[in-house]
Amino acid sequence: MKRQFTLLITFLLIFFIADVCLGTVYIKPHQIWDALFGLENPQTSKTVRYIITELRLPRAIMAVFTGAGLAIAGLLMQTLFRNPLAGPFVLGISSGAGLGVALVIMGATALGIGAISGIGIITASVVGSLVVLLLIILMSLRIKDTMGLLIVGLMVGSLSSAVVGILSYFSSSEELKRYVFWSLGSLGNINWDDLLIIGLLFIVALLLLLWIIKPLNALLLGESYALSLGINIKKTRWIIIIITSILAGSITAFAGPIAFIGLAVPHLARLILPTVNHKILIPTAILLGATLLLFCDIASQLPFSNYSLPINAVTSILGAPLIIWLIMRKRNLHF
Amino acid sequence: MIRLKNIQVGYGHCVVAQLDGDLAFAKAKFISIIGTNGSGKSTLLRAIASGQHLINGNVFLEDKNWTDQTAQDRSRLISIVLTERAFSYFLSVRELLELSRAPYTNYIGKLSDVDHEIINEVLESFDLKGMESRRAGTLSDGQLQRVLIARAIVQDTSYILMDEPTSHLDINHKADLLLLLKEYCHKKGKTVIYATHEIQLALSLCDEVVSIHKGNIAHQSTADFIKSNLLREIFPSPHVDFKHGKMEFRFD
Repeated sequence: MKRQFTLLITFLLIFFIADVCLGTVYIKPHQIWDALFGLENPQTSKTVRYIITELRLPRAIMAVFTGAGLAIAGLLMQTLFRNPLAGPFVLGISSGAGLGVALVIMGATALGIGAISGIGIITASVVGSLVVLLLIILMSLRIKDTMGLLIVGLMVGSLSSAVVGILSYFSSSEELKRYVFWSLGSLGNINWDDLLIIGLLFIVALLLLLWIIKPLNALLLGESYALSLGINIKKTRWIIIIITSILAGSITAFAGPIAFIGLAVPHLARLILPTVNHKILIPTAILLGATLLLFCDIASQLPFSNYSLPINAVTSILGAPLIIWLIMRKRNLHF
Repeated sequence: MIRLKNIQVGYGHCVVAQLDGDLAFAKAKFISIIGTNGSGKSTLLRAIASGQHLINGNVFLEDKNWTDQTAQDRSRLISIVLTERAFSYFLSVRELLELSRAPYTNYIGKLSDVDHEIINEVLESFDLKGMESRRAGTLSDGQLQRVLIARAIVQDTSYILMDEPTSHLDINHKADLLLLLKEYCHKKGKTVIYATHEIQLALSLCDEVVSIHKGNIAHQSTADFIKSNLLREIFPSPHVDFKHGKMEFRFD
């Protein structure tokens, strides 16, 4: 087990440095040190320093947060719903964010407000996820059955998509393009203040997570057995929903709806360390999720070219074959 | 001691079975619950174990009212074996047993030496030593059922409630497993209460019988139960005959 963790951490560091170095402009690893610690070096120009501290580093850190956060959220949903197909967005959080963004982008002209800035889109995304989150929490008070909650999440998703569909139908091609761009996700355009917010939310989520490790493991036996082991199911369910919402909500707000990582990483983690114990599975999923998204980000940058691909396309192009391969190899997926 | 007082069990406002008066289950007894399909055997078990489906009345565990105890207190007194199998099939046998020590472990679920000792002892007693690292999904029905019963034993409670624990097993395993369980529980002073359709086995093995007939819950020693005409009343089919607690099918 120690060996696997050492390997995972090494890979994470390598990919992190690679993600900072590779892109349209190649940066040598030692230049990162120069820029970070303000060392004078004629080779490291002001432009390079700027690229490192204001563009590449925030982007790489955002990739780490996004990969790790979505992996945790996906794992929690798979355990809560006892469903290997669950991901961070099954409760409809990304759909809510999407609806918020669609309303702002495509509804703005209709209301005569004019084009909306980047901050407007982030705000809309946050408000959208929050509304869905509150809706889900309110309904989870009434719904006793966990599976019922899953269906409600899916319905909220369909409902949002339908409204987005109607909005798209009546919107101009310019607006539509902006919405599609948002929905393809982006790890760029992140500054240090954004990272601070996400970092703080992450700490809150991780602390809450520590609190429910034991209930999470007990849930693997099913709710009835967990209950008979003295686990407070209702409280656990609440905390799981809150952690997932914090992570998936904040990530979607800043990076858009990043697909696949949340679904695929927990399965990969179970493959690497064959256990379902969350004490081991959560750290594995964090390291693996971060590494995988860094890798996807490097790929999406198409190093040494002047082009880049949307991150969401890359995660799915790499993620879908991965899951197919997993199923072919193991015949079935577990939660 | 588990004591039931004037209880009604069922769904919503619909009472399935009820008990007028008191009923007590003593320590170190092997008790079966007998009744037709839908008579409320599982409902009664769930009412005692989790308070689900308890419409009226009181359940006392060790002289304390059920409602005054926390879920954690109860988890140290009652363990269950259910017919539903909603657990992760990726769990290994050992992991499954380790999780069942949850009532005694700290907030992060760290196992102590005592926990490991108990798990090893149960693995030994239930002949599971060779399969502790196998995943639940790779076990046969009979093996899995043995693991689930071992799981309840690992929880180390005074009372073990089981819902049709032998329904998937062949006749060898039924007899062996129940006898093993009975001996284990007498030795350790634990009480087993299980719902069953295996009348013959129950009457030969159990110390006491709880019968549910026409919505009424009754409790007798097995000898008294056999002497009474209740068995005939519960199962009135002309194709089944009971003589001194022995069951026979008749199709002539």
